[in-house]
Amino acid sequence: MRTQRTLAKIVWVLTLLAGQAGSQSKGLDISGMWLVQDPGSGSFTDWFNNVPKPKLRPDVIKDNEAQAASEAAGNVVNTAPRLETCPVGNFPLMMASSPALNIVQSRDEVLIGAEAGRARFIYMDGRDHSETKAQGYRASGFGHSIGHIEGETLVVDTVAFPTICDNRHPVMVTPGGGRARSTTHLAERFRLADNGEEMSITFTWEDPTVFLEPHTYTYRFKKLPEAHPFENN
Amino acid sequence: MLLILAAAHMTAQTHPDLSGYWELRYDSMAVGVASLTAAMSGRDAIKAQVRHDAEAIRRCTNIGIPAIMGDRSAIDLRQSPTVTAIAAKPPSSMRYIYTDGRKHPSKDDYDPTTNGHSIGHWDGDTLIVDTILFNGSGVTRIPGGGVRTPDSHLVERYRLLAGGNRLAVTFTWEDPKTFEKPHTYEFRYYRIDRIAEPRMYNCNPNDPERAKFLLEGLEN
Repeated sequence: MRTQRTLAKIVWVLTLLAGQAGSQSKGLDISGMWLVQDPGSGSFTDWFNNVPKPKLRPDVIKDNEAQAASEAAGNVVNTAPRLETCPVGNFPLMMASSPALNIVQSRDEVLIGAEAGRARFIYMDGRDHSETKAQGYRASGFGHSIGHIEGETLVVDTVAFPTICDNRHPVMVTPGGGRARSTTHLAERFRLADNGEEMSITFTWEDPTVFLEPHTYTYRFKKLPEAHPFENN
Repeated sequence: MLLILAAAHMTAQTHPDLSGYWELRYDSMAVGVASLTAAMSGRDAIKAQVRHDAEAIRRCTNIGIPAIMGDRSAIDLRQSPTVTAIAAKPPSSMRYIYTDGRKHPSKDDYDPTTNGHSIGHWDGDTLIVDTILFNGSGVTRIPGGGVRTPDSHLVERYRLLAGGNRLAVTFTWEDPKTFEKPHTYEFRYYRIDRIAEPRMYNCNPNDPERAKFLLEGLEN
């Protein structure tokens, strides 16, 4: 009888613990510092373009060639004035940057911090992109991101990249020579692997004014459990 | 024994969720006058501090703590089981409060920042946050008097009020070179539903009119 009571208590406690564990592990938690894994490209430009080659529209290719010729001629310093109307942030550069991304995932929002102190926000509260159509909405260089969990994957949808405002930032270049702009749509899929020690993000860019077909590539990240974020002024 | 373990486990899982957009309003701040050391309370010291902060704003430097916690644009606080983040609209780094049991790093292992290094733990329904390893950059003035320095030590206590619609934060600063005794004040933030985009100021340090506005007259 005593043994039965003890067993019953153990079962009750295990049931409680299982319930708690279940609520805690529901969905995916990508919180942590994540270092992008560059396979050894040699330079940031090489790393940035180390993706499957996108199929670009001829006018984008022509624009890339003109830009390359200008740089080859020595025009590598942008002296255009900085304007307040320019959007803050550059999504493609942030996600490829060598300092670790610092991600905090809460129920309703995911914050992604980067080297320069800027943060990207992914809304998980069920909203759609309609606020980007509102009068007075000003796009940031990170676009407008909404996300949801599908099984063990965080699926993120981003639109409303800014219309570039001046000659200092004439275009926002995506890896491989594409463009992110107001007509661009990005889908991302965040997944964990290796018992949570690795994360992959698969990016798929779509924009009929830029790409002849969707451009997909994947970044892999390693978790840095004891690293400290640093501040870049 | 098992029951005690189970109770402890359940307690550990039931912390309040402080996540949300939190806004200061005209009646949000209860701030007394700090007891400053003689070195910090002189006119020259105050003038130097005012100049320092104006230069930081003019140069779009990350403003850091305590300025991000006192900005009139709402802060975005997001809590995960292991870390809580706070994002503010002015030029600033995201702030991270680690609740995974880690300790502060040594000075040799950490580059001091405007936000310092924060670790937190729960005491009932209150999140207690301990922050050190600040630098002297950014906007350093502390409400009520004094400035943040590399020697500053900040303890904050976060708790929800009014059914979760207010967030009370008490701040206690200690720094023997700045304060005669610990300086404590409290902010009570209002929960709001949304933050308007864009979420960050585009600060332009090269705007001469802005620089003139911020710096002219500081010598008076």
